[in-house]
Amino acid sequence: MWKTVLRRVLIMIPQVIILSILIFFLAKMMPGDPFSGQINPNTDPKQLEALKRAAGLYDPIPVQYGRWVGNLFKGDLGTSYIQHVPVTSLIADRAVNTFWLALLTTTISYGISIPLGITAGRHQDEWQDQAVQIFNYVTFAVPPFVFYILGIWLFGFTLGWFPISGSVSPNASGFWGTLGSQIYHIILPACLVALITTTSIVQYLRTGIVDNKVEDYVRTAHSKGVPENVVFRKHILRNSLLPIASSFGTTITGLLSGSMIVESVFSYPGMGKLFLDSIGQRDYTTLTALILIFGILTLLGNLLSDIIMSIVDPRIRIK
Amino acid sequence: MNKSKILRSIGLVSAAALTLVACGKSNNTANDENAKTASKFPQAVPEKEAKQGGTLKYAIKTDTPFTGIFSDELSTTAIDSSVAEPGEESLFDTDDSYKITNKGPATFKLDRKAKTITITVKKGVKWSDGKQVNAKDLEYPYEILANKKTKAQRYSSQFEEIVGMKEYHDGKAKTISGIEMPDGESGRTIVLHFKEMKPGMLYSGNGYFWESAAPYHYLKDIPFDKLQSSDQIRKKPMFFGPFKVQKIVRGQSVTWVPNKYYWRGEPKLAKIVSQVVSDNSISQSIKSNKFDVTEVVNSQWNEVKDTKNVNFVAQIPLSYHYLGFKVGKWDDKQGKNVTNPKAKMNNKVLRQAMGYAMNVSSVDQHYTSGLSFRIPTLIPAQFGDYYDKSAKGYDYNLKKANQLLDKAGYKKKGKWRVQPNGKPLTINFLAMTGSSVQEPTVQNYIQQWQKVGLNVKLVGGRLSEFNSFYDKIQNDNPQVDVFMAGWSLASEPSPAALYGETSPMNYTRFVTPKNNKLLKEIDSQKSFNHSYRVDKFHEWQDYMNDEAYVIPLDNSYKVIAVNKKITGYSTNPSENSNGHQLWYKVGFTK
Repeated sequence: MWKTVLRRVLIMIPQVIILSILIFFLAKMMPGDPFSGQINPNTDPKQLEALKRAAGLYDPIPVQYGRWVGNLFKGDLGTSYIQHVPVTSLIADRAVNTFWLALLTTTISYGISIPLGITAGRHQDEWQDQAVQIFNYVTFAVPPFVFYILGIWLFGFTLGWFPISGSVSPNASGFWGTLGSQIYHIILPACLVALITTTSIVQYLRTGIVDNKVEDYVRTAHSKGVPENVVFRKHILRNSLLPIASSFGTTITGLLSGSMIVESVFSYPGMGKLFLDSIGQRDYTTLTALILIFGILTLLGNLLSDIIMSIVDPRIRIK
Repeated sequence: MNKSKILRSIGLVSAAALTLVACGKSNNTANDENAKTASKFPQAVPEKEAKQGGTLKYAIKTDTPFTGIFSDELSTTAIDSSVAEPGEESLFDTDDSYKITNKGPATFKLDRKAKTITITVKKGVKWSDGKQVNAKDLEYPYEILANKKTKAQRYSSQFEEIVGMKEYHDGKAKTISGIEMPDGESGRTIVLHFKEMKPGMLYSGNGYFWESAAPYHYLKDIPFDKLQSSDQIRKKPMFFGPFKVQKIVRGQSVTWVPNKYYWRGEPKLAKIVSQVVSDNSISQSIKSNKFDVTEVVNSQWNEVKDTKNVNFVAQIPLSYHYLGFKVGKWDDKQGKNVTNPKAKMNNKVLRQAMGYAMNVSSVDQHYTSGLSFRIPTLIPAQFGDYYDKSAKGYDYNLKKANQLLDKAGYKKKGKWRVQPNGKPLTINFLAMTGSSVQEPTVQNYIQQWQKVGLNVKLVGGRLSEFNSFYDKIQNDNPQVDVFMAGWSLASEPSPAALYGETSPMNYTRFVTPKNNKLLKEIDSQKSFNHSYRVDKFHEWQDYMNDEAYVIPLDNSYKVIAVNKKITGYSTNPSENSNGHQLWYKVGFTK
């Protein structure tokens, strides 16, 4: 199996190269540049020209690409044009925020959807199933941003239970104080996101259980007199979790990608928000670095999913 | 500094400006007259006795985290400048027309004969570590601005009026020869030697000299190329204003505590917490009294206007929106604008007719619940004497528009008018995306133009995103005939930077001998005579309105919701530090 993993990693190299070329050229094709927001009667356009030249924005794009790749190998993602700090430090900052938010979200999301899926599958067509189905329809149909804004309005403003923006309170001090404040800030967004991202897991799980219930091996187990609970746990549930396991790799790497919508609504300084802002501000260095990271994460996520699958399902063995 | 604020804001404001167009608008015609005094709102909260202490929560309206470059010389965004407000103080106070007075931290003396400006910091003006602000602190900003290693965006060729500035900028000199420190670096005086004196130098925001100080003793060990990202600028900045930084959460919030060495006296508040709030949360924040000072989003005014426990104060910012007609191109080689006499829009009557066809007042009234208003001229009323009270601008008049077009030979052929030479006429209009009412506003204007038979179409069939808008405007994209944009102005009103022959920001690219002459006169030696300069300003406004290369559209109130328990908050230029709130006066009432 490790041979296969190695091969997959090797295939990723040309994929990443193509990806990097695409992102770099596409980013440069956007109209405007990091300085186009800075026009004003008192900033001398000559000075902006000089700065653009110094930043290498007038070099041919292949030259710029070459320089960018060269720096990548040195672990240097460049300096943000807008924030004027190294992109690595900017992303590191945001990645931590996003990671905690995503971790909590994912935990809550699985915490809600797995029991719901099991209930629905086990009690197929009974009232429990129908209740779960209604929940699914609603959460699937509501546009996320509407849901988040309603949530922020109700719990943030009207009831005042949770903070409405940011990742930490200005008054937080000390290690525990800061940590507590950070957790307090992610509870509301995490719960809201978790609530409306359950659909696919619930649905996969329910379908899996419904399908597996009528499989031959389940019937065999029943006829051998295996207790109902054991049949469900060992034979039905395990097999029904496979489709979820297949997406688990991307879920893990997705912890770092962030969510543009929720992070914007909550002004939460994470990766998604950074991505969105860097597009608007034409912050090329940050933008290209982020897409490259997202791309690599996706590739890694797929690989990880395959590995997980081969571990949990002996029928699938990568050769 | 006032100037700086304007500088920084501009880029954004040009974007915001359009947003504004769509946002708050005011009630019809009455506004033109009372534009100067923000009559719809008070400029300051009621004066009451203040108590000592209390924490003030200050909302910073922005959808992106603040950059946090706490240096007037290096910062580039308006947001950073409002974040830095409690600590940053300009060297000069001004009167209500932005003329520099000697009441601020430094005094100012202009000597026309000797061609010098002498700036002396008052004794007792101290950095938050207790050190007196000295001559070197006044001189150091020029080094930061002009040294290429700092990559300061705010260096401008206007500074090259200072003797030796250019040589230093080009790396040919180690020091700036035209900046003299008569009592040495630790004295309190610098003398700036100019090649030529300009009348605008008496006003804050003129761009010929710098209006803030940098703590040299604190920054001197940092190499210029590291300054922007240094902890001394980003994490632990030092100011001489009423408050000093206690804590910064990158991009999100800053906590301020009093600077005990503050020269005007002890601030009333014990703490200020500035925190970022996104536009979509602003109105709810105001309604639920989450902050003590919050800027209103104009398009959401109706939601918040009945909020209890707040006073609304307002300021009319030095900015405007305009309609520009492309009549030429920027010539990179010659470094100047070149007008094309045969350009489609190079017909005065056509431009005037388009101006008369715009129902700016009723659009403002309809879409902005009384927070924006039509303006009649390119010099905002806040500039006092320089503003031409008799200017009429382009008030809605379809009949006149039709008459003008008929007379000039734009005859109707079927549905649309054709050019005088008989060729079909399609006018391509470029507008920027903005608030939720931007789209209907723009569509409304297009309908008005179509009413007078002009076939006006949006470039690309839709509104343009900010970057692509300016990309097209700056590079004179031939698809664009007419565009709607905005400017935020420096507090010195000379229009040369926006409409001069050699100004790349003269986006319409119009150049006429008369305009050149008037602009020159406005900044000439004769203009040290106030009434002469006023005359020239009026003449220029008259000329611009008549030629209609640029048609002034509207401006909007900047409304701030202030907790009723707060006193001392004012938006008057004379009670601010160059456009910044003077936070030392602000306090909670007893």
